[in-house]
Amino acid sequence: MNFRTFAAFVGPSVFMMLLFIAFPLISVFVQSFYVTQTVYEVVEVETCTPGFLTQTCTTEKTSVPVVGEDGHVLTTTEFVGLQSYANVLELGRAWDALKSGSWSAFQTIDFWKALRFTLTFTLITLPLNIGLGLGIALMINNAAKAARGPVIFISLLPFIITPVIGALSINWLFRGDGILTAAMEWYSGRDIAMFAQAWTIELLMMLYRVWHVAPFAAIVLYAGLQTVNSDSLESAVIDGASRWQRLRYIVIPHLMPLIIFVSMIHLMDAYRVFEEVVGFSSQGHVISLQWLTYDFLVPDQAGNRSISRASASAMLTMIGITLLLIAPLRRTWRDHKGGH
Amino acid sequence: MTLKTILMAGALSLAGAAASASCAFENTVPLKSLTAGFEAWKAATDAMAECGNFSASLDQEFKEKQPEAFAANPALYQIGGVANETLIPLLNAGTIRPLDDLVAKYGENLTPNQLIKIDGEIMAIAMMVNAQHLMYRQDILADLGIEEPKTYADVLAAAEKIKAAGVVDYPLGGTFKTGWNLAQEFVNMYLGEGGNFVDADNNPTINTPEGIKALETLKAMTAYMDPEYLVSDSTYVQQQFQQGKIAMANLWASRAAAMEDAAESQVVGKVKMASAPMGAAAPATSLWWDGVVLAANMSDEQAEAAFKVVMEGMDTEMVQANNDAAVWLVPGYEAGPLAAGAAASAANGARPYPASTALGILHSALGNGLSAYLTGAKDAETTLADIEANYITAAKEAGLLE
Amino acid sequence: MSSRAMRQPLSLRLTSNSLLILWCVIAAFPIFWITVMSFKTPVDAFDANALNVIFGPETRAKGHGVSLLDICLLGLALWGLWRGAARLLPSMVRSYAPAGAVWLGWLIGAAAFGLVALVTLFGLLPVLSNALNPVLGAFGADVIGLTTEHYKTVWIDRGFSNNFQNSLVVTAGVVTVSLTVGTLAGYGLARSGSTLAFWILIVALVFRALPHSVLVAGYLPVFINSSEWLAPILGENAPTLYGKPMAVIAVLVAINQPFTIWMLRSFFQNIPAELDEAARVDGCNHFQAFRRVIMPVMWPGVITTGLFSFLLAYNDFLVTSLLLDAQNQTMVPAIAGMFNRETTTTDQVVAVAAAVSITAPLFILVMVFQRQIVSGLTAGAVKG
Repeated sequence: MNFRTFAAFVGPSVFMMLLFIAFPLISVFVQSFYVTQTVYEVVEVETCTPGFLTQTCTTEKTSVPVVGEDGHVLTTTEFVGLQSYANVLELGRAWDALKSGSWSAFQTIDFWKALRFTLTFTLITLPLNIGLGLGIALMINNAAKAARGPVIFISLLPFIITPVIGALSINWLFRGDGILTAAMEWYSGRDIAMFAQAWTIELLMMLYRVWHVAPFAAIVLYAGLQTVNSDSLESAVIDGASRWQRLRYIVIPHLMPLIIFVSMIHLMDAYRVFEEVVGFSSQGHVISLQWLTYDFLVPDQAGNRSISRASASAMLTMIGITLLLIAPLRRTWRDHKGGH
Repeated sequence: MTLKTILMAGALSLAGAAASASCAFENTVPLKSLTAGFEAWKAATDAMAECGNFSASLDQEFKEKQPEAFAANPALYQIGGVANETLIPLLNAGTIRPLDDLVAKYGENLTPNQLIKIDGEIMAIAMMVNAQHLMYRQDILADLGIEEPKTYADVLAAAEKIKAAGVVDYPLGGTFKTGWNLAQEFVNMYLGEGGNFVDADNNPTINTPEGIKALETLKAMTAYMDPEYLVSDSTYVQQQFQQGKIAMANLWASRAAAMEDAAESQVVGKVKMASAPMGAAAPATSLWWDGVVLAANMSDEQAEAAFKVVMEGMDTEMVQANNDAAVWLVPGYEAGPLAAGAAASAANGARPYPASTALGILHSALGNGLSAYLTGAKDAETTLADIEANYITAAKEAGLLE
Repeated sequence: MSSRAMRQPLSLRLTSNSLLILWCVIAAFPIFWITVMSFKTPVDAFDANALNVIFGPETRAKGHGVSLLDICLLGLALWGLWRGAARLLPSMVRSYAPAGAVWLGWLIGAAAFGLVALVTLFGLLPVLSNALNPVLGAFGADVIGLTTEHYKTVWIDRGFSNNFQNSLVVTAGVVTVSLTVGTLAGYGLARSGSTLAFWILIVALVFRALPHSVLVAGYLPVFINSSEWLAPILGENAPTLYGKPMAVIAVLVAINQPFTIWMLRSFFQNIPAELDEAARVDGCNHFQAFRRVIMPVMWPGVITTGLFSFLLAYNDFLVTSLLLDAQNQTMVPAIAGMFNRETTTTDQVVAVAAAVSITAPLFILVMVFQRQIVSGLTAGAVKG
């Protein structure tokens, strides 16, 4: 395939990705080195607001932005180098906390707190997801032919359900005296509050994520199981291999590319964990990296946002995910070169 | 229900929308509004829609969209709904218009209390006020022989007695959800203690004895609350009240009507509205208002039509139809027992929410930082110092501090 | 794997099957539960006692309920519909659809099936139960409290059908554009061994890993002011992109491209390159070869990939909530809005009903395409 044909085939796709992903990404990258500030002046302002029956008027010195001749608010943009990164990382405080050997003090710094949770979340859910997915796939494969269709359908439900709604329904089941908390209380005879401490919330978030994504792993691996070479399985039986040995030495190696594919997707998705934090309102106890970025980004009520810190934290998140992805990517490179 | 009834109902509702034009004039200029989404706004925008050619966006993301949408030329929305604090970005950017001419021409039904004036110019028209105040189960307190709590010391003492009596799951409820709600609780408490948030140069001033006192009171309350307090928002506290699980809470006036809603409340007639408990200086609450602004980037004809529609949206007729949906400022509102708490708080000297650019930043910093104290990760002084440090970083980035 | 030696011992089969049943319960329970909640009055729906939520005494006290007969009828109807969807529909499509337009046959078939389901569930069933319940005594007496009023509120009073239409527009747009653009790119990438192709794939993968909130926040000012910056190119008619479904479709397609091209590339790699090379020897250029040789055999992979695009577009919250206004809002942000604003308990149950309503189309979709998903994946749409 020559270059022009290739360009014609991939052109539209590449163009859309450049326009809507690469271009915003570059601007985020650039913004992380600059700070744009509004120019304020202090003036005396009289403000009258309604009371219950009569108005209260106050005269105060307040800072208001200077509006330029074109009717827009005046701003200055300044190159600050790595200042925004330093503001996000708070290396000084982190170092002090570590030097004094206090992990809990270290964990009160937002970025490190978020990084700790994001990594724990990603690395714990990864094996659970693969394990459960493989287990379900093997069980479906074991089930009677007629039952497979309905079982696959039910298994896919957690995966297709709208994430916002999935998180909310888990919320109802566990929040306060939600039905499952009530069941656990009845079973254990103790008062249980799932949203009262960090570890139970973390546990719920991880369980929810595994519940939500394991069907994808299961269905992909089940598809993979359909292509296992039955000749080699049968010859293994003749050689006296146990069920476990067959799984270990024939089935899993056959599924390996798929397991890596599912792991890669899972790494990417779990590393940007966000919906769970919002859905379970866990901000008081645990936060994630994408939540941190989002929190910098949304304006407060007076319209201020921390664009520079948001950009810096987004770039740091990206660096993290790239590091995690290097291992699977090297394999893709070998495949790509070997396949042609 | 049969398919036929569905179709019938659909047809009826369409016909209903077309027929019920109880608006004094026929609006011919296409108008759009962007407001928050709670009941009072629904009532007001529904009344505006009766004039025709009007479409409302009731959007929980409004504070994110409003500044951008009003800055566009022409503005994407002609009418905006704001509160104390969400007025600031529009005011700062100069994207809303002074309303003095229009008020003089069409605002004969407005009371002076409704006119939000900045440096003498009318910039917004308020329609309602809101404040957190004490709601309590009068049956429980009467049974246990407890007087109406006047201060937080009273509240805590009452909570102790209720806990000892064991009549409800938790004596206290609180809108302590991490983020905006929790910060709002601190703002209330700190205002009650007579504190000031920032000085004239926008430097933070919350790491003070008043600030520590406010934090300690908040923490003392959590001992009597549902242990999941860090995730409870006003809807959740309202539900706890309705299901008879709590006996007292400092809850928004706009939630009072829900206590009397027979369809979902099991405590109808048992909840009394009272003034917010007193701090050292004032009631521990802050007064909020909600109102309407008009975009600067539109023609004068559009502005005139928009203002007339707004006047129809907040007229006596609308208020009479939705009397209990809010504490209205509009003539025709009858302040019943449900508004008694807000009224008493105001009479005791409750302060307005001190809206400013600086407080916007500080409110966010408080929302993120306070939970560390309540969970015991930090002590009060460190918590406040860290919040101040966070505020300073953000304020410098915004250009508010040098 | 039919050989005798592969047969499993009974204990293993039993363990495996009971674990599978356990998994099915875990998978379906939350959805089952919110469905139950959506049919009760607020007091029942949020009751701490599970039995009260299921049987809904409060709801029954208000005169809304179903009898054993109703349950049997409903079960029968659902079973019939399921059979129809699983057996009848595919065979009818196979026999009646013209060879080149199987997808059209499926589309019409699905629409007709949806209509039949609606008429049976909402038209036929109530009439039957109203006629038979009084006659049958205890068998026809209400046992479970059940009310559909929340669904009425959502679909009729709240105008949710409008959101439904908007969702349809956005979803259909995303799936069509995404697949068109993605199939071409996937094919191109699969047939090119160049280093450029590799780097496009790697960069796409990094894009796939990006946190979306970062990108999306940057869109808002650009989209709101688009009439200003587009004016030099398009003149007077430059549109404001904010609030236009087209803009949201474009953004979602772009966000979804990395995954789409990866899946389709792996799929095309499994189609032997000899096929299109043979066509090219016969004098076709690449595009003709693609159209004549590849298109007829690519559907399993495309359907599977399309389903993932569908899910992404249908379930998206971040982009749609930010870039659409009330007039063209899709279902997910509309529901989130119902929950987030100042609500009453009744509002919450109404929102639950809305949440259940939006899962229903997903249900049907997976029911219909469940086999195609597996065969598409088996055919190699995923190969690392």
